[in-house]
Amino acid sequence: MPDLAELKSMIEAALPDAEVAVEDEDGSGQHLRATVKAPQFDGLSRIDQHRLVRAAVKERFEDGTIHALSIRTEAPG
Amino acid sequence: MADPQLKEKVEELIAGNPVLLFMKGTPEMPRCGFSMRVVQVLDQMDVEYGAVDVLPALQPLREVTAEIADWQTFPQLYVNGELLGGADIVEEMLASGELAEALGVEQPATPPPREGTPPPLQIE
Repeated sequence: MPDLAELKSMIEAALPDAEVAVEDEDGSGQHLRATVKAPQFDGLSRIDQHRLVRAAVKERFEDGTIHALSIRTEAPG
Repeated sequence: MADPQLKEKVEELIAGNPVLLFMKGTPEMPRCGFSMRVVQVLDQMDVEYGAVDVLPALQPLREVTAEIADWQTFPQLYVNGELLGGADIVEEMLASGELAEALGVEQPATPPPREGTPPPLQIE
């Protein structure tokens, strides 16, 4: 099962000062959603915002811990 | 390392189609829920789009799009040569009006009812 707290801290480490929430939408570990609000997103396209979040948890995709991650991003203010 | 011939072919497709969707299955018969969601969004927009079924060459295409666009999951919607995103981004951009702007079309007023969808069940 993916470790939600670990995913959250990986994103926070990559994006200092971000507000991060990682949820398991149905408790199966298959449908994860990360909601991230980060100052680093300012001026970036959505795809670039998502690239930053994915890059932060890349290792967990590569080792097969997670297969899919829905991402919702927001720039502050 | 991606197959150079396949990469060239993909780059030609992206350059030759202003709106191009890489998806699992076809618009008529999507084989994945995320791909279906993007098709449903595009069908609300007054826009022609090309669609490529990635399933026959899934892993080689992942390697190609990883190099081209730093993105390995499908669906992927390209508009005017740039990767816009997958299902999450496309839906967010529909809601915000950014998608209509990127496509150069009118924002759809309300989502039209899908043909063949039964009326919602009512519980009294």
